[in-house]
Amino acid sequence: MKKTLLMLGALALTAFTYSAQASVMPADTGKAAAAATPAPTPDPPLVFSGSVDTYYKYDFSGKPSIPTSFANEQNSFSIGMIDLGLKKTVGNASFVGELSFGPRGQYESLPDALGKTLVGSSYHIQNLYVSYNLSSKFNLSMGYMATYIGYEVISPAANFNYSTSYLFTNGPFQNAGFKATYTFSDKVSLMAGIFNDYWNVYQSGSKVNTFGAQLTLTPIKDWTAYINLATGPASGTEIDLTTNYQITSAFKLGLNAADFSAGEGYTGGFSGVALYPQLAVSKAVTLGLRAEYFTTKTGTYAPVGPGSGNSVMGYTFTANIKAGPLTIIPEIRLDSSSKSEIFPGSTSGSFTSSASQFVFAAVYAF
Amino acid sequence: MNRNLIILLLIFLSKLSNAQQELLSFDEHNKYIYYGVNEMQGLSADTLHNRGLLFLKTLFPRVVFKSPLKNINILCDGKFLTYSGSSVFKHEQGEVNYSLNIEFKDEKYRFWLTNFTYIPYERDRYGNFVPKLGKEMALESINNELSKKESDAYLNETGLFCKQFAERLKIYLLNIPKKEEKLKKIVTDKW
Repeated sequence: MKKTLLMLGALALTAFTYSAQASVMPADTGKAAAAATPAPTPDPPLVFSGSVDTYYKYDFSGKPSIPTSFANEQNSFSIGMIDLGLKKTVGNASFVGELSFGPRGQYESLPDALGKTLVGSSYHIQNLYVSYNLSSKFNLSMGYMATYIGYEVISPAANFNYSTSYLFTNGPFQNAGFKATYTFSDKVSLMAGIFNDYWNVYQSGSKVNTFGAQLTLTPIKDWTAYINLATGPASGTEIDLTTNYQITSAFKLGLNAADFSAGEGYTGGFSGVALYPQLAVSKAVTLGLRAEYFTTKTGTYAPVGPGSGNSVMGYTFTANIKAGPLTIIPEIRLDSSSKSEIFPGSTSGSFTSSASQFVFAAVYAF
Repeated sequence: MNRNLIILLLIFLSKLSNAQQELLSFDEHNKYIYYGVNEMQGLSADTLHNRGLLFLKTLFPRVVFKSPLKNINILCDGKFLTYSGSSVFKHEQGEVNYSLNIEFKDEKYRFWLTNFTYIPYERDRYGNFVPKLGKEMALESINNELSKKESDAYLNETGLFCKQFAERLKIYLLNIPKKEEKLKKIVTDKW
């Protein structure tokens, strides 16, 4: 019986293997094939992608002290979000819809739950826009789109560090509007658009008067720089430089620098610079540092971070350990401020000039 | 007896998994190449050249021609995308770039695809998959950058793409699609 089964298995595999080989053999007569006509290349399929992230964080002061976005819960195994994205292109028209569920993708970043509670948090939109290619060089997009400003993003799958920078936390997350992008060459493209009066809103306060632009430069292979501007009476003016240079196959250097001047009703703003050197030490492991200097201008505008006229320096040491679609991210972060004001100390009501935390995160991207 | 059958099974399985990969050969520069020569009875070099150009412009409109179109031989660069995931839930995983040469003579042509490079994709902030900066790698050396499973998969996909390209080219050169004839309308007020 066993022998018969083995024989049958072998025969089935022989047939299967033969058919597989036959199907990849180059046609050599041409006659049989001549009756058929090749069909034009079809549109790309419906693209489905996303990520899931979870983390453990321990702040060495014993309470959450570093105020930047995400990974805030102290001594806790916590969840980030499940992020689900869809994209479909037919001809020159495309749509992108991206939904997120979980603290990172709801009340920690999206605008409808400012009460910091999941109750009533019904919006989950990270990206929702349509776009149309007028030509291979000219694209129009409209909707609610991830911001074009800054180095870091909400999705943990697209960031190297798991915790986020002060520049990210204080910059826009999303801009709703209409934008046109023209590609002059493979080295230069320009985006210009008009956006709602405030950042991170699904609908305008009452006006659509924020102007945005992005000049993309690729001066040499493997080096890309984005010069960004968002300016409006209500949202203020942010000028931003974001650049990445893959200097060798193992070493990449990123830089983000920004200056923000507050809009109507406020004075001051913030500015800062962050450097992101990253070194791949093996196929699976990359080590990286984020060194950030962030300062708050003197005035009434109060960003997340140091108070008016003060600054903070943050060093984040991160490893990315890849196992297929899974990335394990251990991270140590040390922040220090010019004054003892922003980091809660270990005793109740006290503040210190430095803070440190450990994060162990896992991000699965698909 | 059982041992022999098991060995046989293993051989078949390994051959099956490498079926597409084996379509690629190495050229004199130790680069992967897919090479083919075909007879085209009764067709002149000019006819084959014109049909070849139309084939590329119709079915591969994004190829970049590297030689003047009036040249009898065609040299161009192209790319195809690789996808991850199942047939329903999938996204672009990377692109394979290649150089294509087609040479025509009366009643025959030859072609080869070579200079394969692979660029992995990453998802950008807008939900699009885009080439990863500075990660272009020659197909001959992807073993150094990627796992064996991944590099085998891309070699297989490249082999399959080349095979399908060759088949479609041959079909097109033999039987060029006719332009659509004007639709005949029936006039119903006449018998």
